[in-house]
Amino acid sequence: MKVTVLQENLTRGLSAVSRAVSPRSTLPVLANVLIATDEGRLRLSATNLEMGITCWIGAKIEEEGSTTVPARMFADLVNTMPDNQVHLNLDTRTQTLHIQSGASKNDVKGIDAQEFPPMPVPDFDNAINISVADFKEMIQQVAFAASTDEARPVLMGVLVSVDKDTVTMAAADGYRLSVRKSTLSAVAPSPVTAIIPARALSELARIASDGEQQVQMVMPKGRGQVVFRVKDAELVSQLIDGTFPDYQQIIPRSHKSRTLVSTASLLKACKQAEIFAREGSNIVRLNIKNSGELQPGEVEISAHSEETGKNETLVEATVDGIPLLIAFNVKFLREVLEVIKTPNVAIETSAPNAPGVIKPVGDEHFLHVIMPMHLG
Amino acid sequence: MSIQILAPEVASQIAAGEVVERPASVVKELVENALDAGARTLTVNIAEAGRRLIEVADDGSGIPADELLLAVERHATSKLVAAGDLFRISTLGFRGEALASIGSVSRLTLTSRAKNAEIGAKIRVEGGIMGRVEPVGAPAGTVVRVEDLFYNVPARLKFLKQDLTERRAIDGLMTRYALAYPSVRFRLMDGPTPTLQTAGDGDRRAILASLYGVDVAKQMLEVLAEDDSTTESGGVMRLSGYISPASLTRSNRKDITFFINGRWVSDTPLSTALIQAYHTLLMVGRFPLAAIFLELDPQDVDVNVHPAKAEVRFRAPERAFSFVQRAVRRGLLAYSPVPSVPVTQNLWGGSSNQSSGNSNQPGAALEWAIGHDEGPRLQVERLEGENSPTESTIQPSNLPETGQLPITNYHLPLLRLVGQVGATYLIAEGPDGLYLIDQHAAHERVLFEKLMLQHNQKNIPSQALLSPVMVTLPPQSASLLESQLPTLGHFGFQVESFGPNTFQVRGMPVLFGNADPASALRALVEDFEEDESPLQDEIEAKIAGRVCKRLAVKAGKALNPDEQRALLSDLENCDSPRTCPHGRPTMIHISVDLLERQFGRKGAR
Repeated sequence: MKVTVLQENLTRGLSAVSRAVSPRSTLPVLANVLIATDEGRLRLSATNLEMGITCWIGAKIEEEGSTTVPARMFADLVNTMPDNQVHLNLDTRTQTLHIQSGASKNDVKGIDAQEFPPMPVPDFDNAINISVADFKEMIQQVAFAASTDEARPVLMGVLVSVDKDTVTMAAADGYRLSVRKSTLSAVAPSPVTAIIPARALSELARIASDGEQQVQMVMPKGRGQVVFRVKDAELVSQLIDGTFPDYQQIIPRSHKSRTLVSTASLLKACKQAEIFAREGSNIVRLNIKNSGELQPGEVEISAHSEETGKNETLVEATVDGIPLLIAFNVKFLREVLEVIKTPNVAIETSAPNAPGVIKPVGDEHFLHVIMPMHLG
Repeated sequence: MSIQILAPEVASQIAAGEVVERPASVVKELVENALDAGARTLTVNIAEAGRRLIEVADDGSGIPADELLLAVERHATSKLVAAGDLFRISTLGFRGEALASIGSVSRLTLTSRAKNAEIGAKIRVEGGIMGRVEPVGAPAGTVVRVEDLFYNVPARLKFLKQDLTERRAIDGLMTRYALAYPSVRFRLMDGPTPTLQTAGDGDRRAILASLYGVDVAKQMLEVLAEDDSTTESGGVMRLSGYISPASLTRSNRKDITFFINGRWVSDTPLSTALIQAYHTLLMVGRFPLAAIFLELDPQDVDVNVHPAKAEVRFRAPERAFSFVQRAVRRGLLAYSPVPSVPVTQNLWGGSSNQSSGNSNQPGAALEWAIGHDEGPRLQVERLEGENSPTESTIQPSNLPETGQLPITNYHLPLLRLVGQVGATYLIAEGPDGLYLIDQHAAHERVLFEKLMLQHNQKNIPSQALLSPVMVTLPPQSASLLESQLPTLGHFGFQVESFGPNTFQVRGMPVLFGNADPASALRALVEDFEEDESPLQDEIEAKIAGRVCKRLAVKAGKALNPDEQRALLSDLENCDSPRTCPHGRPTMIHISVDLLERQFGRKGAR
């Protein structure tokens, strides 16, 4: 293999695949990144067997070939190259990669590319096409609600279902639920439902740059995998096996109190409350006061800690329905407010022990449910 | 007062006292009778934990009408004829006392139809007074109905434990017999719903699951062994059953069950033999779980030791014990050559026990290192909450795991962090020397005091779950949990009873974070059975202790310097920083004086 690439391209590619590298695996080749010539471009791949990322970058190829080199050190090396041009030259007999840039000459010992797990090469003919901007926003609004507890793998995933021209994502960690819908530009060839690891989706959101139009999604039959393709990168992930809880049942159908409030003010109040709440049990109280005939309603957001003190913020609100005192985990509340784009948000609930539903005002596609807390 | 012969009712009540001690013993006698009668299906109904009603129905051979009256007589049995038969008893009962004894302390109705009889018959015994035999239509088999147990023995009635305890005893008994007779269908009804039901298809592992819970049953190892060295000391011995792997332990011996020729016995030498088989594989104070079925020639074992027949004598005890020990040891080693840290076990299980066990090691090693030195005797304070330096070598701590601690107001001096060793211990310097701190134990202590403080302020918030989680527990743990629901509520667990042995978790304490509610709940009641009715305070401390154990940072986790410092300063603020909630020491103190002497700077040369 003999190729020349631009340093900035190589850096970008290595950074894209870096999250799939598994540095502490029992399989040494998984700590490496695959470098291979591929139809006039250079292909970089990394995988931890759960998730794999491939990225193609432009290169001047003089001689075809492939190898793997330690991902971390290769990236560090490339980052500090003195010249914009990086020459890669592989000695196949010793699997040593000569890397030259300007006056810098390096020899890196690699592992034969044959040992690298093969990446699936799916057929993108029947792919579902989703706008990158939409998809990234969906991931951002849903993935954070997934669980990080490995005891319940299903909840570590995001339920993605495509039916006709609607795509829905849902994630829950046992205490909260995030659901986001979006419309596809074209009707999907067949309905699809799968649980995709939240981590893989977050990675996808990271590597799909906004400039791109479409992300393509395919699930090759019988492989238990999903493959996403953006312009010059692919991400493959194992699907999570299991049954996702029937989240439709969890979403309350009615409410007795609806509070309209400015998203930014509420978020700011929550952030302040969190400073105190995090010392104790993360509990924040929302005292929702009914709007009278003439005066506006308000929400009093308060938190206190035995050790540090207490905080209280009043936020103006339009309250429709009964007044209520309800408590939430402030982290949950803050996290959902951070992903809501609309200027106003509605909190719907029925009782201190009933779920709270958070909806952006004017956006029917997003919905978030948080279970309340209460003192024993 | 002149000596006189006791009235027959008094005599029979005294005799009954030996056999019929509590509702569970009635169940035991009746179930054994049913099994002796060759029952294939056995249904037990109880009401008010057996106080009001115990009804045992079987489809066994039944009793002919003309023998019915005899059946309820004292010393009347079909199982034994001559005294010589006593030495080769193959039935569970033989004394001919059970029915008579039960009849003398309750209102007993015996309904039975022999297999070949056209019509059944029934007889009623009330406080030992026999009624008349009346013909009655009945299915083949026998139904014994015991109502108002001990109605005429108020003293006994008064000494019965609370309903839950009595019910637990019955649950445990039934499950164990179900295990011993897997091909008999057992059903235990408490009210309209069955609390125990077995298929009678011979599958012991399924029954094991209802005794210990599914997770534990899956881990149990099967053992099979035979000793056919027929010497003069006895005939063939066969052993079958299930034992726990070394990674699965309990804090008491309650889960060690022995059956000899199908009879549940509590024989301490046998359990000692079993525990010895685990020698070096278990931590001190931990015991295995086991259900062992021993088959031997009836001539080699004497069951006629005590009316309740829970004790036996072996003709060749040594042989029996060593057989059990060898068989278990072999089974154990075949499955797990070395005691392994259960990595796959979920976090709630024993892994923290394992890690906390490690903390004994440095003490032991240190003792070894200096014990073999002829130099000055090591003076190390073993810190136990009191500030009195005692001159002693360090002993690996074998403190009993009591939840309650003497409250002392001894705070730590200000400590300067030096670093972490082996990702398990912190080293700190104080004004009076060196402190070695076990990070897990220390964190447990810190959390424990925080939790108890919040608890005392009734300030433990609960986070509701999106959808309730169902947890099914084995009957024994279930009734225990049921009795502790309010206490769990104070700790932020919103748990409701939801049908037999099933609970619905609606909310979790915030402290638990993202952990799986089902396994959290299981971990809380696992081996919680040692005290039948501990004081409420103790229970609370115990639950808190268990919660903390679960949450505390584990040994082997590298902490960054900020975390280490935070742990130290939290520990400094504790009221009794020197022991963990389970009584193990959190730290070892090596005084400046000791260091100087060890380095030969001062003192004896």
